[in-house]
Parts: sequence; C-alpha cells; structure tokens
Amino acid sequence: MNCLSLSSAYLRHKTLSAVLTIATFAAGVAMIVVMLLVNAQLQNEFSSNLKGIDLVVGGKGSPMQLILSSVFHLDVPTGNIPLDEAEKLSKHPMVKQAIPLALGDNYRGFRIVGTTKAYPEHYHALLKAGGRYWGKEMEAVLGSEVAANGGLKPGDTFSGSHGLTAGGELHSEFPYTVVGILEPTGTIIDRLALTGRESVWFIHEHHDHDDDADEHRHEVHDHHDKDHAGEHEHEHGHEREITSLLITYNTPLAAVGLPRQINSTTSMQAASPAFEIARLTAFMGTGTETLKYFAWFLIILAGFGIFAGLYNAMNERRYDLALMRSFGARPGKLFSLMMTESLIVSLISVIVGMGLGHLLVEGIATWLSNTKHIHMTGRLFLAEETWLIPVGLAVGALAALLPAVRVYRIDIFKTLVRR
Amino acid sequence: MLEINNLNVGYDGTTVMELPHLSLSTGEHCLILGASGSGKTTILSTISGLLAPIGGEIVLDGHSYKDLHGSTMDEFRGRHIGIIYQTLHMVSALTVLENLLLAQYAAGLPQDKDKAVNLLEHLGIADKKGNKPETLSQGQLQRVAIARATINDPKIIVGDEPTSALDDNACENVMDLLLNLAAASNASLVIATHDQRIKRHFHKQITLGGAQ
Repeated sequence: MNCLSLSSAYLRHKTLSAVLTIATFAAGVAMIVVMLLVNAQLQNEFSSNLKGIDLVVGGKGSPMQLILSSVFHLDVPTGNIPLDEAEKLSKHPMVKQAIPLALGDNYRGFRIVGTTKAYPEHYHALLKAGGRYWGKEMEAVLGSEVAANGGLKPGDTFSGSHGLTAGGELHSEFPYTVVGILEPTGTIIDRLALTGRESVWFIHEHHDHDDDADEHRHEVHDHHDKDHAGEHEHEHGHEREITSLLITYNTPLAAVGLPRQINSTTSMQAASPAFEIARLTAFMGTGTETLKYFAWFLIILAGFGIFAGLYNAMNERRYDLALMRSFGARPGKLFSLMMTESLIVSLISVIVGMGLGHLLVEGIATWLSNTKHIHMTGRLFLAEETWLIPVGLAVGALAALLPAVRVYRIDIFKTLVRR
Repeated sequence: MLEINNLNVGYDGTTVMELPHLSLSTGEHCLILGASGSGKTTILSTISGLLAPIGGEIVLDGHSYKDLHGSTMDEFRGRHIGIIYQTLHMVSALTVLENLLLAQYAAGLPQDKDKAVNLLEHLGIADKKGNKPETLSQGQLQRVAIARATINDPKIIVGDEPTSALDDNACENVMDLLLNLAAASNASLVIATHDQRIKRHFHKQITLGGAQ
C-alpha cells in the first residue's frame, strides 16, 4: 500500500463521481484545445493564402467581394477585366509579378482556374512525380484535394460544369485531361483545378457559339453571368477577358499610388487584401469577441466545476483522513495522498480532454471539408497545447490544497468520536 | 506502564469528569464501567491521545502526554495505542485486508501482509480478507476492528463498547480474542462499557457516576 494504490482504490470506489469530475475537467480542456486549434488554423489559412499578394485587380464592384473571390475563392467574382488592360498593368514598373486568374467553371464544386504556372509557384506548390504543367488547351493540373476527391490521376479526363458551384450544366463535350497533380500545400491551391487561360476561353467560345438556348438556361441557373471570363466576347467583339490579377509589388511605395491610379484611370478595380481582411475582421469583431469571451466564461466555469468536484471529494474524505491520523499518519503523508489523487484526476482529465479536443476539431474539419472552403485538421499538435498539462495539474493541486491544508487542523476527537 | 494522576477530562473547556488516580502495570487490564453519558468515551479518548486533557497528567510507557502535540501525538499513538472505536470506522474504499495494512502504512511501519492474514485467520475471518467492509456483519466488523487495533503491537488497547452490540456468544468470543491478543503482545486492555457481561474478566474496575 502506498499513496498511488490508495488513491486509485479511492477513485475506483467512487467511480461515478470520479468520472463526472474527469468529464467536467476534460470538457474544459477540450474547449481550450478546440479554440487553440481552430484559431491557429484559421489565422494560418488567412495568412498563407494572402502570402505575398499585395493587390488584387478585378472588375468594379465590392472590394471585399473581389478579395474573397480571387484570393480565397469564396465569393463570386465582381466581373471581368479586359485582357489588354490587365497585361498593360502587369508591365507596370512597380509590379513585380501579376498572376492572371480566369474563373468560370467548376469540377465537383472545386473551381477550375485559368492561370499561369506563376500561380501554383507563388504558393510553392510542387508537382507530384510523373506530372507536368499544361502545355496546350484542355490540359489541367489538379490540387491535391481535387485529385483525391475525384480519384483522378495523370492521363484521366474530367468535365467541368458551368458556374462556380457544383450542379451546373456539364461541359461534357470538352473534357479536360489531367497532366499533373500537385503536392498538398495547405493553401487554397489544394482545392483548385488549374489550367491555362486558353482552356477557359476555348470552352466558352465554343460553348457560346454552339448553344444559344443553353446560354439562356445559364442565366437562370447562374445569375452571375458576369463571372464567366469567356462569355462576353460576343458583346465586346473578340476582346479577351480574365477575372482578376493577383499583384505583388516591386516596391512598398507602390501601395501609395498604384491602387488609386488603377481605380481612377482604368475600368478595373484594385483592392488591398490586407486592408479588406482587416475590415472583415472589424465587421466580425463583435461576434468573434463575444464568442471568445463566452468560451473563456465556459472555461472558467469548467474550472470552478473541477475545483468543486475535487474539493467535495476531498471533503468527504475527512473521516478517513482523521482515521489515518488516529493511526499515526503524519500530515505530510495525508497531504501527499490527497495531492496524488487530485493530480491523477487532473492528468487523466487533461489527456482525455486533449484527445477529445482533437477529435472535435477533426469532426469540424470533416464537416468543413464538404464546404471545400476552409481547410482544417485535428491531427495537428501545437506547442501551446503542452501548457495545458502543467496548467491542468496546477488546477488539480490548487483544488486539493485547501482540503489538504485543513487536514492539519482536523479535530480527530470531534470527527471520529463525538459526532 | 500507564500512570494517570489528577486527570480532568472534557472538551470545549467544560470538564466532563475527573479521575484522581489510575495506575496499570504492563499487561494489566482495566474496565471502565458507567451509564451512558457518564464520560466513558471522553476519558477513553483522552487516554488514546485524541483529546487533550484539561488538567492532570498521563504517562504512557515513560512518555508524558504533555510533551506530545499534533503530529507527534499522532505518531506516538500509531505505535503505542490500538483503538477500537465504538462506531468501528472502516475505510469503505478498501478491503478488509487493506484496512489492516492501512494501519501499518499510516503508522509508518513496514507492511506485513502475512501478519495481517494470520491475524484474520486467528479471528476466524480470513475468508473475508478480500471483501469490502460493507459486506461484513457487525460481529465480523468488530473482529476486523480488533485486528486493526492490535496489528501494530500496541502497549495499550483501548476499546469503546467493543461488545455491547453483540449477542452473548459473540460477546464471549470477542472478549476471549481480545484477552488472547493482549496477552500475546503483553498489552494492557482498557475497555469502557456499560456491558455487565464482561465484568468478570477484569480485576481492576472503575465505575463512573451518572451524567451530572
């Protein structure tokens, strides 16, 4: 018999109350883990997708919408911009790199993006062995999630469907051929099918010529006719269009004048991702702040629950502790007995809570993976999480401290004899 | 072995009773008789070192209680005094055997499982060693309490009404066991009771008056 065997005998004796205490404690820990993981991954999601993009240029409209549609591929685009204007801007001395994006179709809800190799390279995406980038029209390179979802490998073909969300009319007469698959990058690239701009133009030129009745149906299906990069060629002659440009500056000075210059002298709109994201966070600020305070409130509540549970368990132990003292146990022995028990409970709770938290995030991730927008995983361990172990043990020690100190003052006579 | 002079016992500053003198030599037993409320339990608790005397002196095995306080008293008690509480006070989370080992563990003595099992065998309850106390009868629990009080070979075994809840047979049985165990380790028995049945086992008897 020792501290450990005695503690575990007590825990086994009161299984239900031990399980309840552990459940409360673990729920609090799980909540913290979920907050940490979700927060870290959302931050990372934002920053990794924004990385190095100083300016987004697209059709006139809402700047926020432009950023969301072109950087995060969340919203529908604001409209198209003429290719010649876009190319002129790309050659501007203050522009280091301009990546063109032409949107229009999707494959199983994953957007098909007409662009250049510069786009995947910007996100440091690497081709898997045996793959290559597109060389001609209707060749495509898939992001890792797209390939996994469709079960596609180089040499396979797939058809895009019209519009930016799944369910549009299938362009089955113009299938794409997969020529490469990208390694996972943890960025938006994983959820895109990339091709040359020519492919997007090609499909929609033919599409428009071939089937006017179909065109009409599109308008019903998809009122964002504008977002179709290729579709306006009839109206604007043979002037080609793209959806947007992702621009990296050559010099920080560009931020001062270039956006204003674009907005006032061209038919295009320039929006700064950093600014728009800051605006977005400010909009959502009250909501997320409230949520954060609520989470902290729950955590503090869970803390009280843990404390109350342990404290009660320790208080119920008063008779046994008095009995042990009457048999000659030194207070130090009783103190370490109570500490051991409380620390066992805390340690189990922290471990269970951490496991639970990761499972919850993995559950959220599975649920979110259907939306194809936000990428998350529960199989990520943050350095901050290791803090939960000492903090959890400290809570346990604190909860045991008060009853443990009271052991020194127990009146054995009044506790055991005259009650 | 046990010397008591001008003892004044009570709690919360109120004297419950006085005991001018009591002296027990090694192995000598003593019965404290009295009606309920006469202060038997209080004087027994004082002799056990659970309650500090209001006045007077107790010396056990050469140690004056005046010099023993708090944890030193606890430690002294663990090694020199075996207590059988009236409400037996078993630890319900532990088995019968573990309850005996707990007494050794608490006193800081080596845990001797064989000794504990032998003791249980001697008391006829070895088959219950793996049971939780709640599954035992009152008579069986009484024996476990006796085993626990004697396992550390105390100089003095203090019992508060150890037989009053038992029938005549069990009462005799328990008395025999107590006397046997006490004789085996040369310990003194100090028993407080209103149970007239066990009077004949004791030469030395103190009778306390009724409640005042």
